[in-house]
Amino acid sequence: MMDILFDTQLASFFTSAAFIIIGLFAAIFLDNIIKKIIGIAFIEEGANLFLVTLGYKPGGIVPIFLPGMNSEWFAANSAYALPHALVLTSVVIGASTLAVMLAIAMVLYKKHGTLSTSKILGDEK
Amino acid sequence: MIEYVLMIIAILGCILALMQRDLLKAAILTGINGVCVAFLFQFLLAPDVALTQAIVGSAIVPVFLALAAYKTQRTDDK
Amino acid sequence: MNELIPLMVIIPIACGLLLNLLHKKDRSIRILAIFVAIVLPIIPLLSNFGLHYFGGHAPLIDNSTLLGTLPSFISNSALAIFHPAITYSYQSLQKLFIFILGIVAFFAIFTSFNETKKVSGPYMFLMFMGTAAVTALLLSDDIFHMYIFFEIAALCQVGIILVSSTKGNYETALKYMILGSIGGPLLLLGIGFLLGAVGSVNITDIVYAIKHNLVNPFSQTFLIGFGLIFFGWLYASGLPPFHTIKSSIYSKALPHSAALLQSFTVITFIALGIVIFRIFSYLPFMKMVILIFSLITMILGVTMAIIQTDFRRIIGFLAVGELGYIGIGIGIGTTLSLTAGIFQAVNEILTTALLFIGFGTVFYLTKTSDMKKLGGLIAQNPKVAIMVLLGGFAMAGVPPFNGFQSKLMIVQSSLNAGFPEIAIIAVLISIITFMTFMKVFHSVYLKPKPQDLQVVNESIPTSTIFSIVILLIICLIIGLFPQLVTDNIYPFVARLI
Repeated sequence: MMDILFDTQLASFFTSAAFIIIGLFAAIFLDNIIKKIIGIAFIEEGANLFLVTLGYKPGGIVPIFLPGMNSEWFAANSAYALPHALVLTSVVIGASTLAVMLAIAMVLYKKHGTLSTSKILGDEK
Repeated sequence: MIEYVLMIIAILGCILALMQRDLLKAAILTGINGVCVAFLFQFLLAPDVALTQAIVGSAIVPVFLALAAYKTQRTDDK
Repeated sequence: MNELIPLMVIIPIACGLLLNLLHKKDRSIRILAIFVAIVLPIIPLLSNFGLHYFGGHAPLIDNSTLLGTLPSFISNSALAIFHPAITYSYQSLQKLFIFILGIVAFFAIFTSFNETKKVSGPYMFLMFMGTAAVTALLLSDDIFHMYIFFEIAALCQVGIILVSSTKGNYETALKYMILGSIGGPLLLLGIGFLLGAVGSVNITDIVYAIKHNLVNPFSQTFLIGFGLIFFGWLYASGLPPFHTIKSSIYSKALPHSAALLQSFTVITFIALGIVIFRIFSYLPFMKMVILIFSLITMILGVTMAIIQTDFRRIIGFLAVGELGYIGIGIGIGTTLSLTAGIFQAVNEILTTALLFIGFGTVFYLTKTSDMKKLGGLIAQNPKVAIMVLLGGFAMAGVPPFNGFQSKLMIVQSSLNAGFPEIAIIAVLISIITFMTFMKVFHSVYLKPKPQDLQVVNESIPTSTIFSIVILLIICLIIGLFPQLVTDNIYPFVARLI
């Protein structure tokens, strides 16, 4: 029981799941555009955390090959570095999408004078 | 042990950020969440990602959100 | 010349960035854009089929000097076969689609010069960037690489709508981005599940691991991964529940960019659909799920099209409904049906582009797209009206046009596979598509001209008429000689199954 409670990888998976669920809730049900965008940022963060957690190795080392290391020992003990490379890209994509969405939100505020999604999208008709 | 504390702070940061009525506070709480995730990446043996996330999650995203809130309206009134 | 493979992506990206720098220098933008747009369809014709490894990192098994120095537990395992670098795979299917995409992009850019008064650098940038992103989606053999370009393509589509400055474009863009920001991370999560199970993001490696029982393909990890990637596919291609937003995107964009946007959608649909087919075709319910969603798409697309009054909206919904035919081809899953589905995708790109550009002339002349306010435009330009009518025939599947050939193949393949119901539905939907199209044609061109209809621009630019004529000729040629296209598709599909 205690083993499960103090498993960093499992706890981290649950954290990413919590991020995604909270983010989905915010993006679907909250009315304010900026709150929706914050929720979307949380979904992206959750997906990134999930990917990084996949590469984690309990009791392992950082995947940086230093001179003097035995390469077989390194291969057996280092964390898996491929997800890290993927997450680096995905963090940047997340930030740029967020910036574009905020820009659209600012233009829409100028036009409609409100940040409420239901009012903005309701005016469309 | 500290990673569990960070996870709890990060999730609490999420929920608190979405509960704020003041959007500026929400932006700052998003930054706290970003910092916690950056530390978490460090504990998960990904220091390179942690560096990027520390900049993007704790500075760029909150500043963007705060700027948007500043240019539009600060409160989330129905 | 395998070196040309990455150039198909690099040239449009570089050109787009350069055009963005040249903002407000109209003449140089025009010359450069037309030049690159002509080059784009030519590169795939010159290039040889093959694989391109980025950074030259071939699989270990191809690199015998390095393989000899490695310990035997690596050189004897599957790791020696896995691809360490991003791989582009260029084959007959990619050749066909990149060529068609190049043609559509050329006409979209060519018509935009004459229909918009001012040439805008950012607009050209977005068009070229989107073209590059979709090309990379087709070429890539790496599922994470596909995700990156999927996001870039989504951002470009949003950008194109924002630049179009039609009424209500910002609202639609925001809606699309919110849905997209939910769909994108979920797709990434699905990729994460596959990565966790196999340890590689290369599609060939994932298929190898599943085929050789290195992993348990019926584990929950794979099932969740399938669900999430399938959701991302639904979002990317505008299948329900995303059909409304997709069609409103087409109607908010300017007509020539709508022609390009729908080609992005169809190609994303095909690229991701083939990936899903390659990886998950062992799942017994995969084909059923795709079939059900395709049927719903066809029925919803057509029924929603009937009740609209805006003709661009109607064409948008019809374009979404046509995607269902491609989905049926993938869902039945035989060699004939897959060939038919991909053939239908080629035809849909061409005919829908023709219809968007053709009806775009109406919008150009009158600045309205509400069918109640339109009428009697056949007197304005009868030649264009007849060509648009022929384009509608091509879409609905009237011989001798291309739509007839591919729809006939789909009906045949569904009969061969023992799904006569699907054949009947496909024929029925095709008839309703034709009826809806005739309704639009009647109320735009044939019914008496309303008193208050004002014609803003007197004549249609020659470049637009030229584009319509060429697209129509291509449709006719493919309709008369379908083996020109199917010969390219068949070898690819035969290796797929």
